[in-house]
Amino acid sequence: MTTARKPFSKDILHLENIDTVCNDIISKLKNDVARKLQRRGAVIGISGGIDSSVCMALSAKAFGPNKVTAIMLPEQDSSDDSRLLAEKLATKFNVTDTIVEDITKALDGFGCYQRRDDAISRVITSFDPTVDKAKIEIKQSAASHLPPAFSVTVIKPNGEIISKLLPVKEYLQIVASTNFKQRSRMSMLYYHAERLHYAVIGTPNKHEVEQGFFVKYGDGGADIMPIGHLYKTQVYQLAHHLGVPQEIIDRTPTTDTYTAEQTQENFFYQMPFEEMDLIWYGWEHQYPADEVAKVMGKTTEDIENIYKNFERKRKTTEYLRMRPIF
Amino acid sequence: MHIDTERRTKVRNYIIESTFDDVEKIKDDTLIFEEGILDSMGLLFLIEFLQEEFNLTTNDEELVVENFQSINNILTFIESKTP
Repeated sequence: MTTARKPFSKDILHLENIDTVCNDIISKLKNDVARKLQRRGAVIGISGGIDSSVCMALSAKAFGPNKVTAIMLPEQDSSDDSRLLAEKLATKFNVTDTIVEDITKALDGFGCYQRRDDAISRVITSFDPTVDKAKIEIKQSAASHLPPAFSVTVIKPNGEIISKLLPVKEYLQIVASTNFKQRSRMSMLYYHAERLHYAVIGTPNKHEVEQGFFVKYGDGGADIMPIGHLYKTQVYQLAHHLGVPQEIIDRTPTTDTYTAEQTQENFFYQMPFEEMDLIWYGWEHQYPADEVAKVMGKTTEDIENIYKNFERKRKTTEYLRMRPIF
Repeated sequence: MHIDTERRTKVRNYIIESTFDDVEKIKDDTLIFEEGILDSMGLLFLIEFLQEEFNLTTNDEELVVENFQSINNILTFIESKTP
């Protein structure tokens, strides 16, 4: 007997049984940490973002707040809001073992800022890192037929914006140097996890895992990823259900990586989460482009191009998800 | 050698050498991104190659499929940018 597939709709990803979903994740977390990983609690890096907040809430429920260590890992480019929100989150879920580890000096030691700023200066010679803000972004639409290319944008104190397409050498150097941030955080999380005989909880959601929006051995370095199978809008549903503070839910997801404000949408995803979740679901479950296009109010060609873009992203980021080959 | 043939050979050799692909697989009208021969990093390296080999700078607004989708299109793009 074959089961008829649900027609594509804007509600297709809505979790009806949110309580069961949460309880299943909590049971799995307990079992995986205690039995498979044989650890006695959880270390989690909290940034004040929605993903790490939901993971911390789930961990507090799974292990009890006294078996969770929440670590804030700011550096000189982090927004002050991130720390305030992270503190509020820990208080809300009664996690008292909170630690602030400022990684600025470690990053300075690696030459993270210098190497990044040198690369930006080679492209925009007037860039002054002491006063200017900078970020990298994709300017093409997700429906473009070409793979994305990155531009660097510098914002001067007087508001002047200078933006240039990044040559490959500079793009790679900027990415490689800023990746020190996620890898330093991972090192610090494992320091505390090993000190306490705890497991490291990774916070990437389904899009980050499958589209490769994580740093290999950085935020991709963890023992367990409890929301790695959830779409972003589902993560928001869990956040509401678990009682994550409203300021965190209302905050636009940022990369918190570059000095200029940068949303995840314009850095990587090229479309709003609500749209991306649904179209990704349509692509993953092989819904015809015209059926998805009708629901999403887009042209069939746009959806076909976005499907191709997803396919390309998953393929080109396979390297990030690969284990070492031997 | 005619200038167009020379450029075409350079672009074609670059794509073959950078992708380790079968020479027979890449024709002048093969859709190099559509068929997965080059990916997003491939596009960035291709732009660098055009800069180094033909002294050709690509701008944001020129990043359209019509300029890059095949060897034929790349050649037309080079011609349009070369005085």
